[in-house]
Amino acid sequence: MTSTDTGQRRRGSDARPVITELIDEMTILAIAEEAWVSLVGEDEVLVPIPSELPGDILSSWVDVVGPWTGSVVLTTGRATAEELSRALLRESAPELLDDEDVADAFGEIANVVGGSIKAALPGPSGLSLPQVGNAPLVRNAGDLCRVDVVWRGEPLTISVQGALPPLPVPTPSRENEVPL
Amino acid sequence: MRALVIDDSRAMRRIVTGILTNLGYEVRDAGHGGEGLDVLNEGWVPDLATIDWNMPVMDGLQFVSAVRSNPAWRRMTMMMVTSESEHTQIVRALAAGAHEYMIKPFTADAFRDKLALLGLLPQEVAL
Ligand SMILES: [Mg+2]
Repeated sequence: MTSTDTGQRRRGSDARPVITELIDEMTILAIAEEAWVSLVGEDEVLVPIPSELPGDILSSWVDVVGPWTGSVVLTTGRATAEELSRALLRESAPELLDDEDVADAFGEIANVVGGSIKAALPGPSGLSLPQVGNAPLVRNAGDLCRVDVVWRGEPLTISVQGALPPLPVPTPSRENEVPL
Repeated sequence: MRALVIDDSRAMRRIVTGILTNLGYEVRDAGHGGEGLDVLNEGWVPDLATIDWNMPVMDGLQFVSAVRSNPAWRRMTMMMVTSESEHTQIVRALAAGAHEYMIKPFTADAFRDKLALLGLLPQEVAL
C-alpha cells in the first residue's frame, strides 16, 4: 500500500510560531526600559523613534532556544556601545575602555533584556551566554519584531529575530492535478 | 557581614557589589562558580552568596550543588541573581539548594527588601 504524502501532517507538526504572534513592540520596549533603569541608571530613557544607525555598528545578543528559537539582538553605533558600557561600569570604568570591557557590559545588557523577553515567550527555553560582534542574519523577515529607540540622542535597535528560515510554502502536488 | 558576588559580567558584579557595599557588606567577587569555590576553599566563607545562573566554566546551578555537598558551607545563604525568570528554572535553583532568587533587572531597593526578608541586612542598616 502506498500512501500519498499530502504534506498535511508534516505541516501540522512543523507549525511553529513566529515572534509577532508571541510578543509585540510595546512589550519589548517596556522590557528594555526596565533593563535600562536598572543597569544604566534611574534617569535613563529610551525614546521610541526610528533613526538611522551610523556606519560603524556593534551588536550584542543572546540566543533563545525553545518553542520559539532565535536571538534577541541589540545594535547601536560602536561609540554608543562604549558610552553604554561606561554608564554601566560607572566609577569602575577604566579611562580607556578596551573591547573586552565593551563586550562585557554591552553583552550583559543583551543578557538581561534577552532573559526578560525569553520569560515572556512560551517555554521552556534555554538562553545562551551573550555574544558581541556582527549580529546574526535575519533569516525570516516574517519572524522579526524590531523596536527602534534613541538613547542619549543616539539610535539603537532591539531586534527579536527567528533563527530559522521560513517554512516552504506548500504547493499543490502536480500528481494530483487532473489534465484539462 | 560578608558577601560573595558571582557573575561572569564584570559590569553586573560592579552593580551588585555597589549595592552590597552601600548596605555595609564586605564583598569579594568571582567570575564563575569555579572561582567562587576557590574563595570558599581559601576559608573565606560569606554570610551571603549572590549567584548568576548563566556563566561559563561553572554555572550557578552547579555552584549551588557543589556548596550544598559540603557541610562546612551550610550556613551560607545563597541567592540566585539571574535573568532566568522562568518559573521552572527558579524551581530548579531552589530544589538544588538556593534560598532565594532575584530577577535581573532589579533595583537597589528591591535588593535591600529581599535581604531584609532573609534577615541579612547588616544591623546598622536594618535599624
Ligand atoms: Mg551571566
